[in-house]
Parts: sequence; structure tokens; C-alpha cells
Amino acid sequence: MPGTYNPADVLQALPEVFLASVALIVLVLSFAAPARRGWMETLSIGGVVGTGVLLVWAAVPLFQPGGSPVSVFSGSYLVDKFAIFFKVVFLIATLLVILMSIDYLPLVGVPVGEFYAILLFSTVGMMFIASGGNLLTLYIGLETMSISIYILCGFLKRDQKSNEAALKYLLMGAFSSGVILYGISLLYGLTGALGFEEIAATLATIDLSNPALLLAMVMLTAGFGFKIAIVPFHMYLPDVYEGAPTAVTAFLAVASEAAGVAALLRVFLGAMPHIQVDWTVLFWILAALTMTIGNVVAMAQRNIKRMLAYSSIAHIGYVLIGFVAGAKLGISAVLFYVLVYAFMTAGAFAMVILLQTETVKGDLIEDFAGLGQVKPIAAAAMVIFLLSLTGIPPTAGFVGKFYLFSAAISAGYVWLTLIAVINTAISLFYYMRVAMVMYMGEAPEGLALSSSRPLHAAVAFAVLGTLGIGIFPQWFLKIAQASVFGLLP
Amino acid sequence: MQAVFFFVVAAFTVATALLVVTRPNIVHSAVALIFSFCGVAGIYVLLDAEFLGAVQVLIYVGGITILLLFAIMLTTRIATRVDVFNEQMGLSALIAGGITAILVYASLTGIQIAGEAPAPVETTPALGRLLMTTHVLPFELISILLLAAMVGAIILARREKE
Amino acid sequence: MIPVSYYLVLGAVLFGIGMFGVLTRRNAIAILMAVELMLNAVNVNFIAFSRYLPNSTLDGQVFAIFVIAVAAAEAAVGLAIVLGLYRNFHTVNVDEINLMKW
Repeated sequence: MPGTYNPADVLQALPEVFLASVALIVLVLSFAAPARRGWMETLSIGGVVGTGVLLVWAAVPLFQPGGSPVSVFSGSYLVDKFAIFFKVVFLIATLLVILMSIDYLPLVGVPVGEFYAILLFSTVGMMFIASGGNLLTLYIGLETMSISIYILCGFLKRDQKSNEAALKYLLMGAFSSGVILYGISLLYGLTGALGFEEIAATLATIDLSNPALLLAMVMLTAGFGFKIAIVPFHMYLPDVYEGAPTAVTAFLAVASEAAGVAALLRVFLGAMPHIQVDWTVLFWILAALTMTIGNVVAMAQRNIKRMLAYSSIAHIGYVLIGFVAGAKLGISAVLFYVLVYAFMTAGAFAMVILLQTETVKGDLIEDFAGLGQVKPIAAAAMVIFLLSLTGIPPTAGFVGKFYLFSAAISAGYVWLTLIAVINTAISLFYYMRVAMVMYMGEAPEGLALSSSRPLHAAVAFAVLGTLGIGIFPQWFLKIAQASVFGLLP
Repeated sequence: MQAVFFFVVAAFTVATALLVVTRPNIVHSAVALIFSFCGVAGIYVLLDAEFLGAVQVLIYVGGITILLLFAIMLTTRIATRVDVFNEQMGLSALIAGGITAILVYASLTGIQIAGEAPAPVETTPALGRLLMTTHVLPFELISILLLAAMVGAIILARREKE
Repeated sequence: MIPVSYYLVLGAVLFGIGMFGVLTRRNAIAILMAVELMLNAVNVNFIAFSRYLPNSTLDGQVFAIFVIAVAAAEAAVGLAIVLGLYRNFHTVNVDEINLMKW
């Protein structure tokens, strides 16, 4: 089929087409009717939900027995369960971020329509990452996502920290793209192909100790390492998280990290399964480093956005454990953890936004002081997120870690699991410090929370997800396990 | 003959690229960058990729460097001549040199393309066809990317009303 | 016909020069220029492979076109950010723009 284009293929990509169209309408509205804020909000939420419905509709035949993945557009677009799973995670994250933003954007003075349009463009890019069947589609999806996020980071134009965050993220992102591209060019030179399947098929026939192949692997690891902030490529991340508008930080922490993991899985499992031995060793070391440094440095933070930044670095370390463990068990644990992580982290960032009012910025840990006495319900929600981030039952974080660790042990990585358990103990300190401040601290005079209804809905949704997955993990785990078929041999 | 042409163009490209990263004055760097891009365009022509050579000149030389020069004019006082390097010059040179050595080693030992290259064909129509058939999806996606970048650049660069 | 390795060495050297620029330059615009050099190096690789690979499919050239387009978008956004930054900080040197500590 190379060299042909079948117009019916577009139907397979309907969810993306729909979301991109909604984004375009929002963009047009933003200058045609800038006063109609409500329209743009409703349209964005409707767009995300509608895309979700289209996705589920497309997924039904796939999840039935005998349903097989579809590859269209000459192999550049894949419809498989793996893609659907990640797209649902992206859409949940986007929905939560939009709910958080509705009253946050006017508070900080960000142009509304353009914000939602670019946010949705970024989500479209992520969806193409998850569905990418060759390196070209994956790369363009990655750049669509990244460039949109550079812009979103700089949306607080009068805030120097926001400017700085945008610049740092752009420079690091552009640099890491260069590194990834060099790796891709070597893979192309070795195999003469861009599609994951063709690359894997050709690599099966060549000498696996080829220096160019190993170099390509290292460069792709480093490049994606920058994108998802694996230690030692994480240095920029806390600054970006602190400086970006909090809603964008939440989007970065949840959706963009998930997309990075999706890209990593596609490239390494899809194109380079034959050198798994090599990259397993590499990622063993990176996983241990990433979670340890993330957790240790998080202890020293006063700003909650920075603390959550280091915490998200640590969580990427945990995710890498499942990646190292590999096989169906390990990879499905990764997928499950990505879903869990989306709910609990988005919830924690929603709490930071909840504290922000016209007078208080709410991004220091002290700002949570006394919340337990004054606003018990909000404090309880925060405690649930903190428990889940630590990994304590009955929350989703516990189940997620349990699956990751048991996958690692059954694959024989006892030492790595031990390091992870010690790290979990370390993380207890700084997560519980926030809880301590909330319940032991003295509330400042006139502590007020944002009265935004959509924001409350976002917190409630995140609580529901965190507890729901924690109490009924079986159903979600089954979906995660089904979703790795097609990706693994 | 071809080899001579290659060495001349490659030496020119590398020399101007070195100027880009070592000249203290950023305007000089930008001008050197123009020449470096032109050198790369020459390499493309040597590789029978005429269309890419033209695109390189149009977009890099005609677009990106002009944009860069505008940004330099708007943000740098010509009179001020600060040292534009940070302190880790030696270390950076070591790292970059080491990485280059690894890249050269891996490319030389790892990539073996046997036999003569295929005879050159006219690539431009074939490229156009590929963009509209096999790679139509990324081609459509990049329009979203460019739109987002355009809108974003306008928002970020626009002066806010007081 | 000269061997493909000549082009690959050129690509590697250009990439190294770009990386050196990224590591040493302080001016944000200069760093962007160095990144552009790295992207050019990648494109040299792509086009060389596209020319020399047996039964070549031109995929390398297509990839190079996309890289150029993305580079242009990145440069536009980058320079817009730099302009906004200059308005607030009155400098574009990255080591002076450091409100937040690592």
C-alpha cells in the first residue's frame, strides 16, 4: 500500500479530527466573540467529552474477542488498545485541567480562548504520539505537544518566573529534540525504514552489538529522558513547574509525562525489542537514580509546586521499574500506574489552585497551615492525594505500587524493588509533612479557598478516581492488561 | 571532482559553524550562521536533493536567520560587548569533543551501506507524492503545530495593553 | 561517487559544534542558533541516508522537510519568548535569568 491514500482512513482518526476541529472553533471564537467566555469553556469541555465518546465507540470492537489492531495511513497511524488506553488518560487529564482553569485563568489574567485552543492542540499532539505507527508521526506528535506547552508555560506574561519557565523549557526541549532526532537518523540509516514494525524486523537480522545501534539507543534514551525528566536529565523540571501557571503545571505533570511514557514504550518495545537486554541494564540504573534523587531532594522543598515536581520525578522512577521488569506484567503495571498517577497528581495540583486567591498565591507548603481545622473537607481530599502519592491503602497509589513491585520481583529484580521500598519510606516524610502542617499548623486570619464550582468538581473527580481505583482495582487492571496486547510479542 | 567539491563545501560549513559558536559578538554569529546554512544547502545539492537545498535556503536563510537578526536587534544593545560565554568553556569543549568522537566512531564502524548508491532520480515530484499519500497524516498534523506556534508567538510577543 | 561516511562525519562534527554552542553560550538567541546547527546536522544525516540506502524510499528527505518546518516553528516561538523575557528582565543572558534555584 505505500504510495496510496485511502480517504476512508480518516474515519479511523475521527477522535483527533473532532478534537482539532473543536480547538479551531474555540480559537475562532476567541477573537470573534472574546466576551463569550462561557461558550469557549463549554465547547472545550464538550470537545474533550465528545472525543472520549468517539474513542470508546472506536474501542468497542477492539476489546471484543477477535478484535485486532488496525493500521491505516500506510502504517503511520495505529488503532490498538494501547493507543486507546493512553488517549483516555490524556483526555481525563485534559478534562481535569480545563475544570481547574475555568476560574483560575481570569484570576491570573490569561487570555481564555487562546489558552483552551492551544491546550487542545497539545492534546491532539499527544493522541498522535499514542497512535503513531512510525517515527515521523511520533516525532511530529511530540513536537505539537511540546511547542504548545512551551507557549502555555509563558502565558503569565508579566510574571518573570513564567517567562523563565517558558525559556528554560523551550531551550531544553529543542536540545532534547535534536538528540532524539540524531538517534532516529541512525535508526533510519541502519534499517532504511521509519515504521516501528519494519525497524524491528530489520534489526532482527543485524548484529546487535553494532555501535551505531547502541548509540541510537543511548541517544533516544537521553532525549526521552529529557522529555520525561529522568535523572540526570531532570535539572530544568522544577523551575518549569514552579514558574508555569499552576493549571499548566498540572497538565505538564500529568498529560505530558504520560505522553512521554507512551512514546518511550512505543519506540523501545515497538522498534527495539531485540536489544531489550541492553536497555534493561541502562534503565535499571536510571530508575534507581531517578527515584532516589527525586525523593531526597523533594524533602528540602518549601514550595509545594517544586515539591510536587521532585515527587513527579520520583514517580517516573517508579514507572521505570515496570519498564525494566518488562513482559506483560511489568508493562501493564506501567499503564495502570500512569492512570493512577494522573488522578492523584492532578488532584494535588487542583488543591494548590484551590488555595490561590487574589491575595494569597498558595504555592508554599505553609499556605496549607490550619486547613484541617478550618476547611476539613478540602483537607481530607488533600490527605487522600498525599496517601495515594505515598502508596498507602486503600488508595490507588498503593495498588499501583503493589503491581509495579510485584512485577519487578517476579522478573527477579529484588534489589531494585528494595530501593523502591526504601524510597517509599523516604517519601512518607515529605508527603506527611504537608498533612502535619494542615492539621497542626495555625490557620492565618481569614483563610479563604477558591469558590470555583468547576474546580471543586475537578477535586471531587480526582478523589473519586483515586479512591475508586484503589478500592476496585481489578477492573482497571484488566483493561491495562488487555491494552498491552499488540505491543508485546 | 565530486570529492573536491564536497571537501570545499564541508570545510566552509564547519568553519562558519565554528564561527557561530565562538564569536563573542552575536551579530557576527548570526551572519556566520547564514553562510553555514548555505553550505549545508550545497551539501544537499551534492546529494541530489535539489528541493531540500531550495527549502533550506528559503526557510533557514530567508526565514529563520532574518527572524534571529530581528530578535537580536530588539534585545541587544550593539554598544555593549559582554563576554558571551559561561565559565565552563574548557569542560564543554571536552564534552562536545568527546561526543563528536563517539558519533564519528559509531557512524564509521556501525553504518555499512554496501555497494554503489542507486542512480539519482528526480526527487521533487516523488517527494510531493509522498507527502500527499504515505505521509499525509504527519503533513496534516504539522499544520496544527504551525498554527499553534503562530498563535502562541503572537500572544507571547504582543505588548499587553495597560 | 564519494562514500556515505564522509557525510556522516560532517553530520557528527556539525552536531558536536552545535552541542558545544548550547553548553557554552549565555545569550538565549545564541543557544537557539546552536540548536539550529544540531538540527542541520541531523538533516545532513537523513538526506545522506536517503541518497545512499539501497532501494531508498525518500523517507529521509521527507523527514528532513518536517524537521525544517518544526525548526521554524520552534524558532518563532523561542524568539517570541525571548522578546517577552527581555521586556521583564532587560537581558537575554540565561545565567542572569535565574530567579529560581535548582
